[in-house]
Amino acid sequence: MKISKIILSFISAVAILLSTSVTSFAKVVGDKIVLGAAISLTGKYSSNGVHTQNGYNMAVDRINSMGGVKVGGKTYKFEIIYYDDESNPKRAAQLAERLISQDGVEFMLGPYSSGLTKAIAPVTEKYGVPMVEANGASRSLFTKGYKYLFAVLAPANLYLDVAIDLAVEKNNGKPVTVAMAFEQDAFSQDVRLGVLDAIKRTGSKKVIDDKLPKELNDMAATLVKVKQMKPDVLVVSGHTKGALTAIRQIAEMKVDVPMLAMTHCDAAKLSKQHGKNSQYALCASQWHKTLTYKDNFFKDGMKYAADFEKEFGYDPPYQSAESSAALLVFKDAFERANSFDQKKVRDALAATNMQTFYGNIKFAEGGQNVDKPMVLFQVMCDGSGKCENKVVAPTKWASAKLIHPIPKWSER
Amino acid sequence: MSKNILLYSAILIFGLVAPFVFPAFKVQLSILCVLIVLATTWNIQGGEMGYNTFGNILFYGLGMYLCASVQVGMFFPLAEWTESGGEKTFVHTPAQFFQGMAVGLVVAAVVPTIVAGLIGYAILGLRGHYFAICTLGLGVAAGEISGGIEIIGAGQGFTTPPFPEVGGLEARGEFFYFLSFGALILTFVAVRAIYSTRFRLILNAIRDNEDKAEAMGIETMKYKIIGWMVSAFFCGLAGGIMGGLVGYIDSTDVAFDGREMGVFMVLMAILGGKGTLWGPVIGATVFHIFKEGFWTFFLGWQYVALGVLIVVIVIYFPEGIMGWLREKYPEKFGEVIDEKDRKAQVELK
Repeated sequence: MKISKIILSFISAVAILLSTSVTSFAKVVGDKIVLGAAISLTGKYSSNGVHTQNGYNMAVDRINSMGGVKVGGKTYKFEIIYYDDESNPKRAAQLAERLISQDGVEFMLGPYSSGLTKAIAPVTEKYGVPMVEANGASRSLFTKGYKYLFAVLAPANLYLDVAIDLAVEKNNGKPVTVAMAFEQDAFSQDVRLGVLDAIKRTGSKKVIDDKLPKELNDMAATLVKVKQMKPDVLVVSGHTKGALTAIRQIAEMKVDVPMLAMTHCDAAKLSKQHGKNSQYALCASQWHKTLTYKDNFFKDGMKYAADFEKEFGYDPPYQSAESSAALLVFKDAFERANSFDQKKVRDALAATNMQTFYGNIKFAEGGQNVDKPMVLFQVMCDGSGKCENKVVAPTKWASAKLIHPIPKWSER
Repeated sequence: MSKNILLYSAILIFGLVAPFVFPAFKVQLSILCVLIVLATTWNIQGGEMGYNTFGNILFYGLGMYLCASVQVGMFFPLAEWTESGGEKTFVHTPAQFFQGMAVGLVVAAVVPTIVAGLIGYAILGLRGHYFAICTLGLGVAAGEISGGIEIIGAGQGFTTPPFPEVGGLEARGEFFYFLSFGALILTFVAVRAIYSTRFRLILNAIRDNEDKAEAMGIETMKYKIIGWMVSAFFCGLAGGIMGGLVGYIDSTDVAFDGREMGVFMVLMAILGGKGTLWGPVIGATVFHIFKEGFWTFFLGWQYVALGVLIVVIVIYFPEGIMGWLREKYPEKFGEVIDEKDRKAQVELK
């Protein structure tokens, strides 16, 4: 057979290609600390992926321009290698492997979303690569016994359970009826578990419990049911697309519900782009610019928001803020460890106890941040139609009073 | 014949030493093996039998979930493993991990085979576009359904058992590489053996004219089902391995990933040349190299680049690489051209 010759030469070509493309470089090159990150630049999480990337870049620039990282008497600068994980867990796991074994990265930053973090964590864990992640909130990430995973954010089940408590409080302590619609993904399903816990705790009742598909563009079926059942609270979670779809269709269908609790309102730029349609929506957030936490790099939330806006042209959602915070945590840990030994850095990370503009950061055994509460803000509009997110809970941070119940569409 | 032996031993040696010579590429090479398995098995339907299926992803995803479920379920309660709020941490001992994996892979291969038999009996009566669309629906439906089943993690996804603490850092990569390389060899040998029998001729007859084949007394339905079952067996196996390799199963993005894997397997077979034994192998390799290259050099634009590649393939290599080679160098494929005859024909025109 003659074709065997062709195939043989083909194989040798592949072998040569492979051997020439091994370009391993170490984690610390010269005066650079190279971090690796797989980010969703395309696919369903691309908008939040970009928020994450902007947050990382913002912090890298800031830390580098303010003296960098001092380890062993020498100053180092951060640098990040990015890959696009396409919002796909399979791809993310592959890229983590690639960052570690081909690019020689020894420290990782997290991707966007719980699902992708879940895919990457087993890989970083296996190689003992410390990963500080800012966008994987699913509770199951913190119960697997991972030792090299650190999350600067509060776990997903805490996102919206406060909203249920708030609704009960407004109902004079009496149980409420809850309608729920959650996307079929790791994060949203975890938010759902948190809401279920809160429902159980307060003796409330769930009247609708819908699952929304991943490529979420329509939730009219759920909203029809909401119109019929008239629940006290409607809870929706499905990343940016979920927030946008809910606001668009609630306004279109004129669905009246006393309380609308959601996630990802700021990432979806609701108050800017949907204005009055998004008015009164209650949103869970890891961070808000009016919180009064402080640090040396970004000073405080307001300053961070202003700088961010100048750089990227939009108000930073919490996804960007928490991503920036991840870099601050790394810097702090490197300096305390005073070494680039992965074990030592890991131990330093575990001992983190600091305040950043984004909030206090202190990791529990499982790697989640236990020192930072969630906040709820409400979209509020003034007479001219200009809308803003105002923190309404917890009371310590509140800059406005919760408007409850939401006025009916016919009265707006 | 001696050249054949040379070729196969060269491939075998390359496969065996590759993870040690190119340690950094173990995962890519493992995925390449899985891709070749998928392309080769797709070719049984799409290439040899002329039935364009998008449903093979069903067996791949099924195998993935089954393997992981068995691996966990043999030793721990599956529901507690997948329940995200669970505070308990389960750890497989090395023996448990490998035993579970072994049994899991057997189940992952056998159950999809049975499923293929049942579904095939129901839908292989459809032909042409109707069959293609029906199988497309199968994959999508499977993704949505599995995303609602709590015991396998539903929308939360399913974290497969982490690799136990044996060997060094490289052990996991080497284990999965040899597993997928083994699956590749198994698939190739099996498919090659099948192709050397009358079975291939029957499949070709079905492709070329199913009614005529039937009229000649061939029970086409039986052979179509058997063909699909063979594909399902290896797809399931590949899925089981891939699940362990990725470490996290998501219903629509990893397991029933029709949008990527489901399309890729078709593309690779066409790129290499459908209806040939080597076509899918070459197609998968070229495709994988291009894909990885695009992902490195065209960050954010990789799908655009991939799209251009597909357009180029369709326009310039409609018969695939093997088909193109065959046209260019027919003598290397054992086809003799009678110069006199050719000239005579040209002159006639």
